[in-house]
Amino acid sequence: MSKVLVIGYGNTLRGDDAAGVHAAELIAKRHPEIICVRVHQLMPELAEQIAECDVVFFVDAQEDVTQVNARLIAPSVKTDQPRTHFISPESLLALSQQLYQHLPAKAYVVGIPASQFEFSEKLSTQTDQAMHECVAIVEKYLTL
Amino acid sequence: MSKTITLAPVTRIEGHAKITIQLDDNSDVLDARFHVNEFRGFEKFTEGRLLWEMPGITSRICGICPASHLLTSAKAGDDILAVEIPETAEKLRRLLTLAQWLQSHALSFFHLSAPDFLLGFDSNPATRNVFGLIAADKEFARRGIRLRKFGQEIIEILGSRRIHTPWTVPGGVREPLDPAKKDYMLGWIPEAKETVGLALDAIKKIHKKFAKEIPEFGNFRSLLVGLVSKDGGLEYYDGFLRIMDGNGNTIADKLDPKKYFEYFGEAVEPWSYLKFPYYKPFDYPKGMYRVGPLARVNICDYIETPLAEAERKAFKKLGGNVGVVNNSFYYHYARCIEMLFAVEKIEMLLTDPTILGTNIRSMASINRTEGVGCTEAPRGVLFHHYHVNKDGVIQKANLVIATGQNNIAMNRTVRQIAAYFIDGKKGKITEGILNRVEAGIRCYDPCLSCSTHALGQMPLHIELVSASGKVLDEVRR
Repeated sequence: MSKVLVIGYGNTLRGDDAAGVHAAELIAKRHPEIICVRVHQLMPELAEQIAECDVVFFVDAQEDVTQVNARLIAPSVKTDQPRTHFISPESLLALSQQLYQHLPAKAYVVGIPASQFEFSEKLSTQTDQAMHECVAIVEKYLTL
Repeated sequence: MSKTITLAPVTRIEGHAKITIQLDDNSDVLDARFHVNEFRGFEKFTEGRLLWEMPGITSRICGICPASHLLTSAKAGDDILAVEIPETAEKLRRLLTLAQWLQSHALSFFHLSAPDFLLGFDSNPATRNVFGLIAADKEFARRGIRLRKFGQEIIEILGSRRIHTPWTVPGGVREPLDPAKKDYMLGWIPEAKETVGLALDAIKKIHKKFAKEIPEFGNFRSLLVGLVSKDGGLEYYDGFLRIMDGNGNTIADKLDPKKYFEYFGEAVEPWSYLKFPYYKPFDYPKGMYRVGPLARVNICDYIETPLAEAERKAFKKLGGNVGVVNNSFYYHYARCIEMLFAVEKIEMLLTDPTILGTNIRSMASINRTEGVGCTEAPRGVLFHHYHVNKDGVIQKANLVIATGQNNIAMNRTVRQIAAYFIDGKKGKITEGILNRVEAGIRCYDPCLSCSTHALGQMPLHIELVSASGKVLDEVRR
């Protein structure tokens, strides 16, 4: 059985920014066999955990999209200079590859449309709906 | 015609900022400013929330140092409940504080600053990052990540989560320590000590490698502020405030942190959202002071763990006859010393049988309507000051963060580096110079807490602007 990791990240005090965290929480409840990590932001030490998995989903709020989307990603150090605060999923994959010589067979970034980032512990109605769609999409990928 | 060079945002610090370098009519550096663009309204947001919620809320200010806000908030709550927390609870909180120091310092040293040092300020910016570091020394980079992971694991073990754990509460902590987890944490100690030893070896080589440049990296006298224990030792969780001047004179000692507002004022400038705290008796801006590792290792009389104490003595020799290390570049060395102390002290705490005690929380209701919490966050002394009503509902909150307290000194550091390295007559700044200015800021490891990663992901933007506002040159990377 594939070892699946879901990383949901965002600030749970900043409204829709928490969509990825909420999605990871929901997936954890429905699928106890999946490793779900909820973090404020991506950090370099996640590279080790990523290296130990077969499939990884990076679930994040995205301001510039209108619908839930999942895209396959590959390791890359060209897309950004890892500034740690903003380390990208692609850079984290590259860290896994370079430090631990292992990559998941597949890695996806799943974006959840988000628009409200004021101080709030609630998702907007649209983002809450999209968050549930996101969970459904991740579940669909799990069956492929 | 005077010109302005703007660098925005500063890379590899936590949050967003830009640097403006003002040239005079002779194209010499006239002034330099470290701007913070982000405005955060956390204090306002907390009004109307219950005191008991505050640790959980304020820990979400930041993804880098959540435990520091958690602990300081809980201490403000202790003050409002007017309780003395149980011995075991204090030790567990101390363990959490040290874990926070360790993971934060490891991130700062191994991943944010080491690429500059080990690869060189003038090396290719495309590879002057953690990947370049891996290519140069994979084991060093890997160990840095594992050291940070050790700190994160302690935080996770104590609080069930890596970040935003509500484990620490007014009156103590929620859960005692599981003996099996204590043994697991102890298992990390040998590797952690070895890794910190490598960091100390590296920093000493770095001092030699950059011997000519170091004197220009924020080398000035300022006040140094931090907590010390009752008998003057390095402190991180409790104790008294001590203030030392740049000549090594202790100008104030045994100050009650709960009266911080009597000692420090906060100035504002129209060009930055970050306040400018200063020592009131010296007024603004002469009351400039530095907090954090450089201040802490300077002001304490001793460190209670043997290996760190030996390093402290070596550190103090860098101050020559004055005995005070005034150069901000040595923040990095002080940070490494504190990592060593943290590992040694974590071992001491975990081998103390009382750490497994089960009396961990003092219960009380609201006994005061005002309370102050103070701890040493990785970047320096942190204050949380709350006013509540009789039901414990927050009426007003004030958070004085470490990065803000270094604000005047960071500006002074940028100005010194810019004046030394930038040739304004050329009208351009090279990548190496740009990075030296940024590295000056990184000495302080500022944490500006952008609070949301979905906002503000800007490329590096440099502008050269005339006094009339005309953009003379513009660079992005």
